[in-house]
Amino acid sequence: MKPDSTWRDFLTPFVLLTGPGTLFIGVTLLVPLLTVVMFSFWRTESYELYADWNFDNYRVLFGEAAYRTFLIRSVVSAAVTSLICLVLAWPVAYYIARHGGRYRLLLVLLLAAPFFTGVILRIAALQGILGPGGLINMSLGLAGFAPIKLLMYTQFAATIGHIYLYIPFMVTAIYLSLVNFDFALLDTAKINGAGPFRAFIEVTWPLNWIGTSIGTVLVFIPCLASTITPRFLGGPNATSFGMSLSQQFGETGTWALGSAMSVVMFIFSFLVIAVLKFTIDLRRSGFTGAGR
Amino acid sequence: MSSHDDTVSLSLEDICKQFGPVKAVDGINLDIRQDEFFALLGPSGSGKTTLLRIIAGLEHPTSGRVMVGGQDVTFMPPYHRRIGMVFQNFLLFPHKTVAENIVFPLRMQNIGKAQRDDRLSWAIQLLRLQGLEARYPHELSGGQQQRVSLARGLISRPALLLLDEPLANLDRELRAEMEIEIRRYQKELKIPFIYVTHNQEEALTMSDRIAVMRNGVFEQVGNRTEVYQKPKTVFVAGFVGQSNQMEGKVDKVNGGFLAFTWQGKKLVVPHAGDAKTGELVRFMIKHEDVQIEVASRKSAIPGNHNSIPGKLRDIIFKGQTVNYLVDLEGGMEIVASGSPRDMTLAAGDLVFAFWSQDTGSSFKLG
Amino acid sequence: MAGLLNLLYVFLYAPILYVVFVSFSEDIVWPFPLSLTSQAYADLFSNSLYADALANSLILGVGSGIISTAIATAGVIGILRYPSKRRTLIIVIFLSPLFVAELLIGISSLAFNSRILGLPGNMFSAIAANAVEGIAFSFLIILSQLVRYDWQMDEAAMVFGARPARCFWEVTLPTIWPSLLGAFLISFILAFNNLEISFYNLGAIPTLPSVAWGSLRFGLGPELFALAALTNGFVFLIFAVMYVLMRTGLVKFGYRGK
Ligand SMILES: Nc1ncnc2c1ncn2[C@@H]1O[C@H](COP(=O)(O)OP(=O)(O)O)[C@@H](O)[C@H]1O
Ligand SMILES: [Mg+2]
Repeated sequence: MKPDSTWRDFLTPFVLLTGPGTLFIGVTLLVPLLTVVMFSFWRTESYELYADWNFDNYRVLFGEAAYRTFLIRSVVSAAVTSLICLVLAWPVAYYIARHGGRYRLLLVLLLAAPFFTGVILRIAALQGILGPGGLINMSLGLAGFAPIKLLMYTQFAATIGHIYLYIPFMVTAIYLSLVNFDFALLDTAKINGAGPFRAFIEVTWPLNWIGTSIGTVLVFIPCLASTITPRFLGGPNATSFGMSLSQQFGETGTWALGSAMSVVMFIFSFLVIAVLKFTIDLRRSGFTGAGR
Repeated sequence: MSSHDDTVSLSLEDICKQFGPVKAVDGINLDIRQDEFFALLGPSGSGKTTLLRIIAGLEHPTSGRVMVGGQDVTFMPPYHRRIGMVFQNFLLFPHKTVAENIVFPLRMQNIGKAQRDDRLSWAIQLLRLQGLEARYPHELSGGQQQRVSLARGLISRPALLLLDEPLANLDRELRAEMEIEIRRYQKELKIPFIYVTHNQEEALTMSDRIAVMRNGVFEQVGNRTEVYQKPKTVFVAGFVGQSNQMEGKVDKVNGGFLAFTWQGKKLVVPHAGDAKTGELVRFMIKHEDVQIEVASRKSAIPGNHNSIPGKLRDIIFKGQTVNYLVDLEGGMEIVASGSPRDMTLAAGDLVFAFWSQDTGSSFKLG
Repeated sequence: MAGLLNLLYVFLYAPILYVVFVSFSEDIVWPFPLSLTSQAYADLFSNSLYADALANSLILGVGSGIISTAIATAGVIGILRYPSKRRTLIIVIFLSPLFVAELLIGISSLAFNSRILGLPGNMFSAIAANAVEGIAFSFLIILSQLVRYDWQMDEAAMVFGARPARCFWEVTLPTIWPSLLGAFLISFILAFNNLEISFYNLGAIPTLPSVAWGSLRFGLGPELFALAALTNGFVFLIFAVMYVLMRTGLVKFGYRGK
C-alpha cells in the first residue's frame, strides 16, 4: 500500500540525505554568525558585553582613518593576489588536466601536500628565505651585492606569501572543473575554424568559468582575512584588517567593535561572491540539468 | 477483473504516471501471458521506458495497480520483485568482471557458491561467453557486453524479463543476429519477455504480441499480423511498416467497401467502419501491397484492382527488395515495393501502380 | 606550461625544503655554514608537549575528516540522485562555508560558545567548527567527481535484488571511493593544521599550529621544524607508494584511461 502519512512524505530521500548537512551548517556556522551580527550592535566595557543596542561600533569603524586604511589595504591586496593566482593557475591546471595522464591525481596532491606543514612554519620559512637575514639577501650580501629591499618587510613580500599560501586552491578548483570538461569540444571548435586562442575564449573559458570563480573566491576570502602573513612578511606598514580584527578579540578585548569589523569583512566577501554570481549563467555552464 | 488467471503472469490496471504537467503514461491496461514475447513499440518519448520502470518498481505510478501472480506489487521496492532487466546502455558494473557481473543477482539472493557456479556455467553456455569470464566490461565489444547484460538478466530465471531497447546501440548486422538469438532464449526458457523498442522491424521480427504506444496510451494491442495488416488507427498504420497515403471524400459506401476519388482516379478500398458519404477519409496501403506494370501491359492487371498511371522516377535497392518510386501526374508519388528479380523496368518508363481493392485500410478523418 | 608547473612546484617546495634543512642545523636563524645535528629531533621526542599537540591535531583532523566526508557524501548523493526544487538552495548552503573566512568561523563560534552557551574551549566545538569548512571542500571535491556518475547503475543493482545499503556498498562505493578519499584527505589536512578556527575554539588545549603560534614570542623552537620535517617525510612516503602503485597500474585511483 502507498505510504501516505505526512511526515513520511516530508522525509524524502532528498531531505534525509541533505538534511544533516543543512542542519550542521545551520547550527555551527549560521547561528554563530548571527550571534556576531547581534554583538556588533552591543557595547563592550572592560571585557564584558552589554546588550544596549547602538551603532557606535560602526561609527568608530567608519570614522577612524586607520580602520579605513586597513580595510582598503586588505581588499586591494586580496584582489591583486586573486588576479595573479588566476593568471598563474590556469596554465598549470590545464597542463595537469590535459597531459597529467594517470598521474593527474598525484600531481594535484603534490599541490596540496605543503598544507601538511603548518601556515606558521611555512611563513617562517618564507621569511627565512626572503627576509633581511634570509637566504636570498644574505647570499647577495656575501657576494657583495646590495640586498633587494623589495623583499624585506613590504606589501610585495606579503603578496608573495599570499600567493604561496593560496595558489594551490586556485589550481585545484580549475583542475576539478577541467577534468569534467570535454576536450573534444575544442577539436570541434577548431574544425569550425577557431584558432587555439579563439577556441579557448569561446569554449574552454566559459565552460570552466564556475570552477574559476570558485577558485577566485577561495583565494580572495582568506587573503581578505589574512593575519599571519602580513604580520611576518609585511612589516609595520602592512597591518591588515584581519590583524586588527583579531586584536579586538584578543589583546584589547573589544568584542563589540570586533564583531562590527567581522560584519564588514563578511559584507565585503559577500560583495565579491555576488559579483561573481552575477556572471554565472547556470544554463550556459555546461552542467546539464543544473539550470533546472 | 481481479479474479486471478494462472496463465497471466503480469497485469497492469489503469496505470497512469504524471511528471509535472507531462502525462508520460496515461491509463494502461495490459495482461502479459505466462510465456509470451511481448513488444512495446512506440516512438521516442511515448512513455515506454516509464511503463517498464513502473513494472520494475523503479518508479511508482500516480494511479493504478501492478499485479504479479495475483498479488499487488505496485509499491513493492524493486529488489523484492525478482524481475530481470536488460538496459539500453547495458549498465554493466565497471569494477566487476564478466563472471561477477553475471552472478550479481544470485549473490543478492544469497544463493550458495556451488549453485552460483552451476548457474554461471549454464548462462555462459547459453550466451556463448566462454573464455570471457575474467574480462572487465570495458574490455568487451558492444555485442559481448550485450550478451553479458542478457546473461545477468536471465541467470536467476526471473518471473519476467524486461528489455529496454537492448539492441539500439548495436550495429545493424549484430542487431539482426541478436534479434533471432533473443527470441530463441525466450522460446527455450519460457519466461515472458517485455521488449521495448522504437524499431518496428525489431518488434515484428521477434514478438508474439505487440502494443503500439503513443503519448502514454496504447493505440493498438494485438498479435503481429493483426497490427501489421489491420492497423486500428492512422498512427499505427503509419508507424508499422511503410505506407502510401491517399486522402479524399467518400463518394459511395457499398458494404465492406467505399469509393473515393484521388488524383482524378476513382479508388475502391476497404471500408473504415463509420465513414459516411461526403466525409473525408485517409487510405493507407503498405509499399509491398502495391504492384507495378509497364503501361503497355495494362491489360495484364486483373479486375477488382485499383490502378493509377504514372512515370517511374527511380528504383531504390533495399537489400532483398526494391522500391519503385512512381511520379503521378498531379505531382504526387506512390511507392511500390517488390522483388528485384522482375527487373525489366528502367527509370523513365510509363507504368501503372496497382493493388487489390481489398488490401490497405481506410480511416475516417476529423 | 610544463615549465610553469615545475616552477610552481619549486616555489611551493622551497620553503618546505628549507624547513627540513633547518631542522638538521644548529642555528635556525642563519643555518650556514651547515653543521648537522639531530639535537632538534632528540628534543622533540623528550618533550611531551609536542606529543600532546600532535595527538590533538590528529584527533581534530580525523574527526573533522570523517564528519565532513560523511555529511558531504550524503549531500552530494542527495542533490545528484533525487532532483528537487531546492537543489540550488542546498548547493549554496553546502558551499557557504567557503565564503566565510576561517578567521570569521573561528571568532563567531568562539563568540557563540563562550558568550551565549557559556562553554569553555573544547575539542568537540573545535572539531565541529573545522568540519564546517571541511564539509564545503569535501562537497566541492565529491560533487565535481560524481556529476559524471551514472545512477542508473544503482537502479540496475536494485532490480537485481540489492537493497539500498548493499547497493551503495557493492556498486556506488567501489566507483566513487577515490573522490571520498580525496575529500577526507583535504578536510583532514585543513583541520590538522588549522590555526585560526582551532585557536579560538580550543582555549588552552595545544595543537601543532597553536604550539607554533605560542612559541613565536620566543622564536620558533627547532623541534617544530623537526616535527614538520617528519610529517613531510611521512606524507612523501605515502606519495611514493601511490606513485609505485600507479606506475605499475596496480591501483588507478579512479583514472579510467590507458
Ligand atoms: N523523470 C522524469 N521527469 C520528468 N519527465 C520525464 C521523466 N521521465 C520521463 N519523462 C517524460 O515522460 C515522457 C515519456 O518518456 P519515456 O518513458 O522515457 O519515453 P520513451 O522511453 O518511450 O522514449 C517524455 O515526455 C519524458 O520527457
Ligand atoms: Mg526510452
